[in-house]
Amino acid sequence: MVGQYDENLLSDMLPIYYAKLFPQNVFCRWLSCGNYPQPLGNRELSFTLSDDVYLRYLSINNQKELQTLFQKKCPYKLDIGAVYNTKPSIGRHDSIILARELVFDIDLTDYDEVRTCCKEAKVCGKCWKFMVIACEIIHTALRDDFGFQNILWVFSGRRGIHCWVSDHEARTLDSPGRSAIADYMCLITGGENQNKKVNLGNDNLHSSIRRAINIIEKYFKELLEDQEFLSTTERLSTFLKIIPDETLRHQIEKVLDKMPTSSLQRWESFVDIYNNYCKENVTAIRKMKHLIEEIMIQYCYPRLDINVTKGFNHLLKSPFSIHPKTGKVSIVFKPEFARDIKLDEVPTIYTLLDDASPENAQHQTNMRTAVKNFQEVVFSLEKTEALRRKKYGGNSMEF
Amino acid sequence: MDFNIRRKSTRTAISGSLIETYPHDLQMYKVPPTENITLQEFENLALERLTLLRTLATATTLKGLRLYSDEFTDFILSELKNNGLKYYVKLCEKSGCGSLETDLQARRKDHIAHFILRLAYCRTEDLRRWFITRELELFRMRFITMKAEALDAFFKINNLYYTNISDEEKSDIIINLRESTQHQNIEHMKFYKVKFYEVLDLVRSRKVFIKGGYAYIPHKDFISVLTAQYRTHLRQSLAIASQHLKEIEQDERIVCLLKGLHQSYSGNDYSDSKVVVPIESLDSLSLKSFPLCMRQLHEQLRLAHHLKHGGRLQYGLFLKGIGVTLEDSLRFWREEFTKIMEIDKFEKQYAYNVRYNYGKEGSKKNYSPFNCLKIINNNVGPGECHGCPFRHSDSSNLKNKLKGYGFEPQGISDVVDMAKKGHYQIACSKYFDLVHGTSIGLGINHPNQFYEESQKLQKGDIKIEPKKEVKNHSTKVEQTDLEDIDFDENLIKI
Ligand code: SF4
Ligand SMILES: [Zn+2]
Repeated sequence: MVGQYDENLLSDMLPIYYAKLFPQNVFCRWLSCGNYPQPLGNRELSFTLSDDVYLRYLSINNQKELQTLFQKKCPYKLDIGAVYNTKPSIGRHDSIILARELVFDIDLTDYDEVRTCCKEAKVCGKCWKFMVIACEIIHTALRDDFGFQNILWVFSGRRGIHCWVSDHEARTLDSPGRSAIADYMCLITGGENQNKKVNLGNDNLHSSIRRAINIIEKYFKELLEDQEFLSTTERLSTFLKIIPDETLRHQIEKVLDKMPTSSLQRWESFVDIYNNYCKENVTAIRKMKHLIEEIMIQYCYPRLDINVTKGFNHLLKSPFSIHPKTGKVSIVFKPEFARDIKLDEVPTIYTLLDDASPENAQHQTNMRTAVKNFQEVVFSLEKTEALRRKKYGGNSMEF
Repeated sequence: MDFNIRRKSTRTAISGSLIETYPHDLQMYKVPPTENITLQEFENLALERLTLLRTLATATTLKGLRLYSDEFTDFILSELKNNGLKYYVKLCEKSGCGSLETDLQARRKDHIAHFILRLAYCRTEDLRRWFITRELELFRMRFITMKAEALDAFFKINNLYYTNISDEEKSDIIINLRESTQHQNIEHMKFYKVKFYEVLDLVRSRKVFIKGGYAYIPHKDFISVLTAQYRTHLRQSLAIASQHLKEIEQDERIVCLLKGLHQSYSGNDYSDSKVVVPIESLDSLSLKSFPLCMRQLHEQLRLAHHLKHGGRLQYGLFLKGIGVTLEDSLRFWREEFTKIMEIDKFEKQYAYNVRYNYGKEGSKKNYSPFNCLKIINNNVGPGECHGCPFRHSDSSNLKNKLKGYGFEPQGISDVVDMAKKGHYQIACSKYFDLVHGTSIGLGINHPNQFYEESQKLQKGDIKIEPKKEVKNHSTKVEQTDLEDIDFDENLIKI
């Protein structure tokens, strides 16, 4: 359905979208809050124009300037950068980054070695479930472990999700802090030449990992069926390579090979064989105590682009920016409803601006919901900020 | 961080206040020293701490010892003892809060030396990283070995007040603590709540339970909090120091010294050489590549066919360091000595010493050539001509000697001036430039380093055969490259 719209129409439609539908007011309030105590003007915005020209170090002082800039440049894509000590500009080499939301970027292309329904830019309801799991695991960790409250979840416009943490503590976190959080969340490591990408050691599982496993378990059967992780010879052989113990591997191979192709059944047999094997081989369990969990994580745990999280000045697509290829709006969603997102119900600029489109009504509603979700996060952020400033008396605690 | 360097010590701090300044063996170096010290002490303290830091680096990278293991600590302590750094042994073995004069003096030296090295190591990001990594290792090691009763004092002195969580709170999360803490038997431990960013190393490696932005740590893990604070503090201080270098470096003597420090000798002990130097080339080498202390020993030996014990030791070990084999060495000494004595006497009285130097007699220790520090601080008695000529010669003698070598007057007076002021190693550096017609301003800390730098400059000038077999199994790897190794300070773990 993307194909039925003409990308060339974008340059005519974008000014209307920005003027009428883009939540400019909330957007500016969100950034202002995230900038505090620096003025809004110290935040870097960047535009990608129709001809792929990339404009960095733009900035706005208020909503009016944003509207003017939108109309003048008509960006195909809008990105948000960091907060500087001055108005950002290319020429200034003395500018220092003072703050930046803690961000996470999860993209389905990083799942290509496990997802079987789609590849690369493609995405469907089946593989969206990976995003649902990712969202739940990361959100829970940010909220429960790190105590963050102002967490914004945004659909990236095509095949992934972004997360923005605006709590003061997160915004002003230094880079060792960011990278420690990224490492804390990152369980899958290793490249093409490593088959087993998760190693949880032999001690107790850390509380956060156990919690993540519980979340994955809720979806695991579904995913086994959807993705058929073990159903073809090829997938089975990829799976077998993860198993470190040769004897066990051969046992499993023998059994699974002769079984019906159902991944769920094969998985259950694998678990049985593993458990029996460990009962008989006390030494084996020491080497692969958490093998089941490790494999589940390898197949389902969030695959973060940790460099985005670690970096301070990585530009990230703004909420409500349009994806130039799909025309889809980067909607804000509530993490608890991530499951309910239907990709073809995500509003596009074409359907929103075309009264005659059959999806128009539905998309209008979804757009309104998305804006409302955005508002809720921003209002709550404003509240926490006000409290915090009151508590610490103006700007005495700042930078 | 201003060091006022005076020739004569005009120390303002007196012991009475030392106990207030230095109440504890373990310091976090928050306040820079303010007293005046002599340049000589400045140099010594710097080199001694460098020895300590390089020993730490050696322990992990060359010896492959696990950080903070017993073997690690033992190695450090024994190296410190070997280098005669008693006050560091004292500070590293069991930190406490004694108040003896020796305690206070050790802390004072520790304090000043730390700040001097900041100046030497703030120059580039690589140096800063190396320095921070080493200082953090040192800090952790000392914290771990601290006496139990000194621990509370340490927290008090550094205003680290934390209250442990209630038993109720603990029992609510006991399962999580058990799962997520890296220690056994946590039931009996008190737990403390700190912000997660105070223990990033534990967060990163998932070795701590975190909830609502707080990390729950037992007392043992406080070292993570402290090292994190200390690391941040060091990072910032080094950044500031690097911005103020210009002001500090208005004194040329300090520039020379500081620049030399980080590239200088102190860790490499030159006890094994990679090349073989034939004794036939020693005459020409002594002109072109020997530091003055060795050149004068060589000349003395040729002239008098004899050297006293101190000279034989200093020169013999140096020769070993540049690559003279034991066989050659024996031949070399024999040829000279037998010009004035019977071969029998030589074999009975002197050959033993030569073999001893090579670790073939006595304790069979592979002795290292002396560094400048040791040579400069050596006692040189009547009739002896070892030691450092810049320290152990009268100005007029030194001047005459240099004149005799045919150097131009301006260069000679530069060298002699530095020596007169007590900057022996800087004088040595100027001598180096005089010999080579350069103006490098090398920081000299070891005669063998002088030699090697010289050889690098004149590569190809002399015949050097690659060594055929490695004789000593305790071969030392070249350590001058240590600081090029990429140490990641983030990898520090208990
Ligand atoms: S400073 Fe060192 S190398 Fe130079 S003469 Fe003295 S001892 Fe020898
Ligand atoms: Zn799919």
